[in-house]
Amino acid sequence: MTEPAPSPAAKQPAPSSWTARVREWGVRAMPPERLLPDSQPAYMSSWIYIFGVLTIASLTVIIGSGVVLGLKGPAWWHYTGVGHFFNSIHLWAVELFFFCMVIHLWAKFFMAAWRGGRSRTWMTGVISFLISIVAAFTGYVSQQNFDSQWIATQAKDGINATGAGAFFNVLNFGQMYSYHLLLLPVVVVGLVVAHILLVRRNGIVPPLPLSDLVKARPAADGGERAASQAR
Amino acid sequence: MDLAAIVNLNHPATYVHWHFFQMSVSNLVVIVLMIVVFAAAIAVPFRRHHEGDEQ
Repeated sequence: MTEPAPSPAAKQPAPSSWTARVREWGVRAMPPERLLPDSQPAYMSSWIYIFGVLTIASLTVIIGSGVVLGLKGPAWWHYTGVGHFFNSIHLWAVELFFFCMVIHLWAKFFMAAWRGGRSRTWMTGVISFLISIVAAFTGYVSQQNFDSQWIATQAKDGINATGAGAFFNVLNFGQMYSYHLLLLPVVVVGLVVAHILLVRRNGIVPPLPLSDLVKARPAADGGERAASQAR
Repeated sequence: MDLAAIVNLNHPATYVHWHFFQMSVSNLVVIVLMIVVFAAAIAVPFRRHHEGDEQ
């Protein structure tokens, strides 16, 4: 009986440098050919697959217009036409962001996109959706107009009722602006980056197996007929 | 404001109210539009560049 040949990894000693270890771990976790693939599966040829990238495009516009608004300060958009323009771009990019993200969510829900070891991809998407709602809310109460005053005074009662008002005070403009400008965008962008990397690593979820659909048909020859019709 | 809005917004929002369900017309329009776009994204065929791209 012969001894099994040692694997190539077992032959090489572990690198002593921590930078080399981190590099090797990074390449193992995210192989370059998966990070930037040059082809995608045929089942991706559908418009329903574009809503993820449309959400990212909207987020890019949100961040870009938000940087300009942040640099100019929270009153700028009230008294200049250019400021008003950037504020409108920011608002409508947020509208598109949620529009596309919710369609993306519906599509992935009906595809059961958490299958095949993709639970972390699904959960990073869910959490970034929830954090985005809070980010949008802090934006609404940072507008510094009657609308934001109305929203803040109405929301404070609800948030106080949950007990969160002690550390999340919607009437405190500085706190809401800090959340909106720095803390929540960092979390959302970090989660979106993790989400994209996980999609790249695990690949796009394949369609639901045809056998599951055929099982639902009671006819004896229904399975083969349904399969041939689908082909 | 120098520019007028395309839709006259100088009035309280219009709401639809059906038993417990209450929603502004603008929100309802957005949700219906999302459902239409979702259905269209599934139904409308996607044009491929060339067959060689398939795996």
